[in-house]
Amino acid sequence: MLEGDQDQEEDQGGLRNDGRRAAELRKIRVRMGVFGQADGSAYLEQGNTKILVAVYGPHQPRGSAARAGGKNVGGIINCQYSTAVFSFSAGERKRRPRGDRKSIEKSLQLRRAMESIIQLDLYPRSQIDVFVEVLQIDGSEYCVAVNAATLALIDAGIPIKDYAIGCTASLIDSTSKNDEDSSHAAGVVDATYMEECSPGATLSIIALPGSSNDATKGLVVVAQGAGQRLHLSRLEALRNRALCGCRDIRNILDRAVRQHLTVHSQPSFSTLHVID
Amino acid sequence: MPVDQRRINGPEVTIPYNIYFDSNAKQTETRKTLPKKRTDGRDSTELRKIFVKTGIVSQAKGSAYIEMGKTKVVCSVFDPREIPNKTGYSLQGELFCEFKFSPFSCLKRKIHQQDSEEKEYSIILQRALESAVCRHEFPNFQVDVYALVLDNGGSSLAAAIMASSLALSDASVPMFGLVTAVTAGIYQDRFYLDLTEEEEVICSKAPDESTSSRNYGIVIQANLPQHGQISEFFHVGSMDLANMKPTVEAITTACKELCPVMQQCLVKSVLKALKRKENMEKEDQ
Amino acid sequence: MADIPLSLAEKTFILHGVDANFRNDGRIRNEYRAMELETKLMPQTNGSARIRLGNTDVLVGVKVEVDTPFPDNPFEGKLEFFVDCSANATPAFEGKGGDSLATEISNTLALAYQSPHAINLKTLSILPHQQCWKIYVDILILQCGGNLFDAVSIAVKAALYSTEIPKVTAATLDGGKPDIQLSDDPYDCIKLDAKNFPVLVTLCKIGDNCVVDPSSEEETCSSASIVLSTLPDGRFTSVVKMGHGSLQPTTLIKTLEIGKLVGIKLNASVMESLKKEDALGTNRPIFGFLR
Repeated sequence: MLEGDQDQEEDQGGLRNDGRRAAELRKIRVRMGVFGQADGSAYLEQGNTKILVAVYGPHQPRGSAARAGGKNVGGIINCQYSTAVFSFSAGERKRRPRGDRKSIEKSLQLRRAMESIIQLDLYPRSQIDVFVEVLQIDGSEYCVAVNAATLALIDAGIPIKDYAIGCTASLIDSTSKNDEDSSHAAGVVDATYMEECSPGATLSIIALPGSSNDATKGLVVVAQGAGQRLHLSRLEALRNRALCGCRDIRNILDRAVRQHLTVHSQPSFSTLHVID
Repeated sequence: MPVDQRRINGPEVTIPYNIYFDSNAKQTETRKTLPKKRTDGRDSTELRKIFVKTGIVSQAKGSAYIEMGKTKVVCSVFDPREIPNKTGYSLQGELFCEFKFSPFSCLKRKIHQQDSEEKEYSIILQRALESAVCRHEFPNFQVDVYALVLDNGGSSLAAAIMASSLALSDASVPMFGLVTAVTAGIYQDRFYLDLTEEEEVICSKAPDESTSSRNYGIVIQANLPQHGQISEFFHVGSMDLANMKPTVEAITTACKELCPVMQQCLVKSVLKALKRKENMEKEDQ
Repeated sequence: MADIPLSLAEKTFILHGVDANFRNDGRIRNEYRAMELETKLMPQTNGSARIRLGNTDVLVGVKVEVDTPFPDNPFEGKLEFFVDCSANATPAFEGKGGDSLATEISNTLALAYQSPHAINLKTLSILPHQQCWKIYVDILILQCGGNLFDAVSIAVKAALYSTEIPKVTAATLDGGKPDIQLSDDPYDCIKLDAKNFPVLVTLCKIGDNCVVDPSSEEETCSSASIVLSTLPDGRFTSVVKMGHGSLQPTTLIKTLEIGKLVGIKLNASVMESLKKEDALGTNRPIFGFLR
């Protein structure tokens, strides 16, 4: 299997299984304002990973979040990450949409990411809900969820400091030594499900690419691997690859947001030519 | 579905041995004869003998026991308490209903946890009672109603609804009126009131394709006979509108007939309470 | 469900509108809102559909798995409904908040489909007593703007209509163990017979009249509604009362009469539009949520 993959890689002239280059993203399709009832919503497709996010708030704290943050004077962000039971690509079906350990962990990570971008000091004693619904999974779903949540926050008109952008970088095979010079050595960005399942490690980075050039502020890193260790010497290259992907995604999403605003904004705004 | 870890549930997969009986032989026999006469010789609109008694569970605020043929149901109602896990204020009080078959009541053993059928029946029970109870009289409070079937001889949900309404009035919960309920079965254009367990099985299976009429099904209807209102209607099976009308009418009349029985039972319990009070006063003097 | 606080005056306004057969969105009493229905929009499922009915938005995915049949129904396959009320619809559904509504909907659907007149589960059998298909119908409620039951049932019907089950080329018993071979060609599938699938029709009693397809504002005005599942030939496979109010026997019969007529029409128009969509062929563009 492993050998076969490498043969294939050479055959494909350095291209990945889906025909992309190492630093190439999948096709991104965006729609903001999907739902009428939510305060903000967004639908994001990165390849075959499809995610819907709805944002409610800011409103008076209620539910479990209110009880937990009783003494908290600042704003509360409440996140729920749930996965549709039919979202897996293979024939298998998920048993429960949420409440398992992985979903709870992802909700928590999502909350951290959102806390780092929302200007919470503007919303004392109020709550903002971010609900993520994963409709189809094909790798990088947590990163796509963060991207979609950012778009939904923008749609809701909640002031944010910067885009929180997630991108994965995956080493297809960290054990092989002979491909040091090939383009895949620094990892491939925006991994698909198949690439995530490969024996190498996958690094997910949530960055704020706009705030500074070295983009280390508010960095959230999640590493996961299929039981494989990652050599420290390769971490730096992998990180740079992922950050590079983050910047690319930011540009694409930024353009989409501006386009959305020109199309849907009030007539008085469109005459102002805010957008270049 | 969380599994109850504390009790011994027996082996995970067991199959009741009755399904290996040649049940078809006997059932087809009754299926054929059903259109003409019922197994216990009743008329199609005739109800079984009914017995009701209130105040049989000493620990409960109000309780009732009902017997309809083989069916035996105990129902108890407890004091109002604050609605658990509720943050807001609700203007209307709530009813919490739990319908449960006791483990030995049916042909197949029931586990201690509610299965999906019992949960469904709990919801029906709640809807049937809700419109009869003056819920605005106890805002932000919840009244618990527990119905336990001791012996399932058919129509146990209808029996549970009646017992619950008696138990609620025994517990002095303010109500608009009594609730009576009757189960009806339809099989090939004919309907039968107050089904036995055997008839329930027959009526919930579709007749053969070859037969002229494909109608079958079970209707559970709860009425407020003192107001002429239907508080709950539930049908499952497959039937057309032409058969629905006479069934609804027949159930409505049957529900009216049941009302005096329940009223007498309540009068009796009130008289008993008065007598007890008199006796106590005499003793005091 | 999402509670919309309405004042007494607003409620009276809606009530008078229903009395005059002119509702506040301009519809008459038994008129549906415009629906948008799309099938086969998720490639990872065996069948899928999405419906938008006003503000109500429901996504249904169907997956099939091989399972062992129930011992008391050895010749039949299995059909299971699972409803997930996404918190996207309203924050009240967060965590376990939507569970009671979800069970209510899935129970109602199971009742509607339990009759052999609606779906013949015998066609899902592979090897009697040994193997059968199990169809999981997973319903994801993304937004509720009233009339959830009808919307869900139409989406379920459409998703089951689009469902393709792999063809079994050989099913034998090998030493007491079942041995199944599926067709190698992924396009070699069998479709379910959707001719008799039911739809649910909710009739919401507002004042003395019944309306179909209530908006969420109208739902708050009503104390009782009847949800009936009708087959294309006008038969009922289930009738369930919702809400805490009571109604008169004559009203009930009248409601059932209206429901029968509406159900026949709704069934026919859903089938017609599904066939129209089918006629577009496999190369039609898929819009999904991008539109």
